[in-house]
Amino acid sequence: MSEGPMAIVKPEMKSYIWLQTADGSIQQVEEEVAMFCPMICREVLQTGMGSSKNYAISLPQRVNPAILGLILDYCRFHQVPGRSNKERKTFDEKFIRLDTKKLCELTSAADSLQLRPLVDLTSRALARMIEGKTPEEIRETFHLPDDLTEEEKLEPLRNMTDDPRIRLLNRLYARKRKELKDREKMKNIEIEEEHVDERSVDDLLSYINGGDGDSKGGRANKNKKKNRRKKDQPRNSSSNYENGNHKNGEVDDVSSPSKFSKFQASASAIFSPKLDFDDGDIDDELDPAMKEELDREVEDFARRLNSVWPERMHDILSLGQERRLAPISMNGNGSLQRCTGDELADWQFTTPLTHPRRAK
Amino acid sequence: MNCFLWFIVFSKRKEPPMFPFNAEMETDKISKLPGHIMDRILSHLSLRDAVRTSVLSSRWRYKWVTLPHLVFDNQSVVLSSQDQTLIKNRIVNIIDHVLLLHVGPIHKFKLSHRELQGASDIDRWILFLSRGSVKEFVLEIWKGLRYKLPSSLFICQKLIHLELFNCLLKPPPKFDGFKILNSLDLQHITMDQDVFEHMISSCPLLERLTLMNFDGFIHLNICAPNLLFFDVGGVFENVSLENTFHLAIVSIGLYANAGYDQNVILGNTGNMIKFFAHLPRIQRLEVQCFFLKYLAAGKVPGRLPTPCIELNYLSIRINFNDVEENLAALCLLRSCPNIQELEMLARPEEQTSVRAVANILEEDYLSCPFNQLQLVKIAGISGGRQELDFINFLLANSPVLERMTIKPAALDGALELLKELLRLRRASVRAEIIYLDPER
Repeated sequence: MSEGPMAIVKPEMKSYIWLQTADGSIQQVEEEVAMFCPMICREVLQTGMGSSKNYAISLPQRVNPAILGLILDYCRFHQVPGRSNKERKTFDEKFIRLDTKKLCELTSAADSLQLRPLVDLTSRALARMIEGKTPEEIRETFHLPDDLTEEEKLEPLRNMTDDPRIRLLNRLYARKRKELKDREKMKNIEIEEEHVDERSVDDLLSYINGGDGDSKGGRANKNKKKNRRKKDQPRNSSSNYENGNHKNGEVDDVSSPSKFSKFQASASAIFSPKLDFDDGDIDDELDPAMKEELDREVEDFARRLNSVWPERMHDILSLGQERRLAPISMNGNGSLQRCTGDELADWQFTTPLTHPRRAK
Repeated sequence: MNCFLWFIVFSKRKEPPMFPFNAEMETDKISKLPGHIMDRILSHLSLRDAVRTSVLSSRWRYKWVTLPHLVFDNQSVVLSSQDQTLIKNRIVNIIDHVLLLHVGPIHKFKLSHRELQGASDIDRWILFLSRGSVKEFVLEIWKGLRYKLPSSLFICQKLIHLELFNCLLKPPPKFDGFKILNSLDLQHITMDQDVFEHMISSCPLLERLTLMNFDGFIHLNICAPNLLFFDVGGVFENVSLENTFHLAIVSIGLYANAGYDQNVILGNTGNMIKFFAHLPRIQRLEVQCFFLKYLAAGKVPGRLPTPCIELNYLSIRINFNDVEENLAALCLLRSCPNIQELEMLARPEEQTSVRAVANILEEDYLSCPFNQLQLVKIAGISGGRQELDFINFLLANSPVLERMTIKPAALDGALELLKELLRLRRASVRAEIIYLDPER
């Protein structure tokens, strides 16, 4: 009585559908809300299930109770016919502000319930999280393990470039990154065994290749195809990397092709087997003019790489942005212009990515 | 303790970071989504971003290769060079490699890079696609001459949507149409007259047809029983719609001002009647550029033999100073009783002397009500007598008019126009007349 008009309660003539999730818990849901899901709708119409607790509709496994709650919220809002497009859009935008884990579960569950508009909405949201981000950022957002080796990262994309110089540059970058990473680790730990192991392995390699420390490259060049196939050793360590001629002194003297080929070859000897295979082929095809150009470019990049890495890359990339149209000339007189970060950043991941630039 | 650290570091070097191991494996939900959902997510990205996901983790290496839609445009292939050879090489390289790495059916292929000229490499890709079951094919050549399509395009019998820009179509003699083609969009293309007619008539399921700036044929003989949407803009001599009883949306623009010698149009049926003969279900009609002149050629009846009862939107580009065009416009207006939205745009460039203009008859005011007309837009007028007559006629016959928007061509005479507009009586009490300033 004291409740006033509320005291007289008319029983609502609402019908409910009973749903059972994979963990066994059963819920009842208003009929019009549940029927918004095509899968539930079909179950009800075809099998007549869902009308009571004992005959609850079993939902697919990908739908757990928490996610079911979210889905039903979505259905509850959208099944009302009178809503304007703007209202629906606003609701959707708020609705998908979930963490990535929930978003993925929601996508999966909506798909199993055949709720196509929700699948579209969540897929788009997930795509937005991937769009335009660097791989590190994406990995962080979705908690992906960084379990590809360096060459695997380059591999599918390696084929995207036809320019041997770009390949060379990629390798240089990759190696530099590895070196930095290794240096980082070395700072924290003082374990020598690891280095010793790899060093000895590489010595073994050079032995197989039939050379001593410096000229291992030269021999490797000749035996390129055969030997490289046999190799599948772990990657080079930083100590071996220093053996390569990234020191200014050595690289300054670039006019002689022999030095260059030594550099090329030693680079490939140090680096992983699979990529070397291509190196050898490329070396054979290069004519001296091209080699000289490459010499110069290598020198250019060696100089750059020796400066602080991340800031330098950023500079190169932003320069690439401003001077979009610095072409690489292929003429023989060696007037090689600067290779902008653009060329490299395009389909490669070895450099920190900025937002993709559109060509004019 | 050292050993413990060593162990951790050791595993760190070789394997994915193990700390915090369990939490990471649990929360990496996205990699476990089923393939078709992953395809859908990746298809919202540009192809470039999608391919880049291959370096995220070992599970992601080949997630993108099953993408059913491949779009190669300026977003997916970013170039920084201006050297045409380099550009071509790069684009060709990328497309070659994507196609080679791709797995599974390709449903949509779009190539529309602004820097790409027609090249024989495109032939190779079309051949590759023709061996599969491509459903949508879009090719836009933005630079260079018309690109001659290879014969292998014409054997893609699974095509549902074909869109070509700046191409030359010369199908092989055995070509007998695309049996399930639903939508055809040809812009800046060249094809022969008989090729065109054969193409249209041998695509029985064709529902949408767009033709813009075409060369090589001048007679638009369209025989398409399932056609719903027809959009044309170009230079042609005549239009003949046959068996198009479902055609609902038509937009026609005749870009050339061909003089129509009235004596040449033989017979009793003028173009107006011929055009509407097979358009009983038309709902939206746009008469653009000089097409009204075309319709006005020949005998123009007072109204069409069969009214267009489903027509609810009409837009006409008209020269108010031309008698025949006025007659044609009146004929049209008298024949669409259920029109809801009307747009009349004056053609500005013609300064023909005002001949004896067609008068809107008194009886029209009584027998031609626009009981559904709610929205009227009139633009480019200069306040001439004829124009005001039309406006008067519309206002007097539209009992449910909500809004009429008027935009003169120039500020000259705008004041006079406004004065005249104020005087006009309106049948609808709710009608607003909105005056818009002319564009500068």
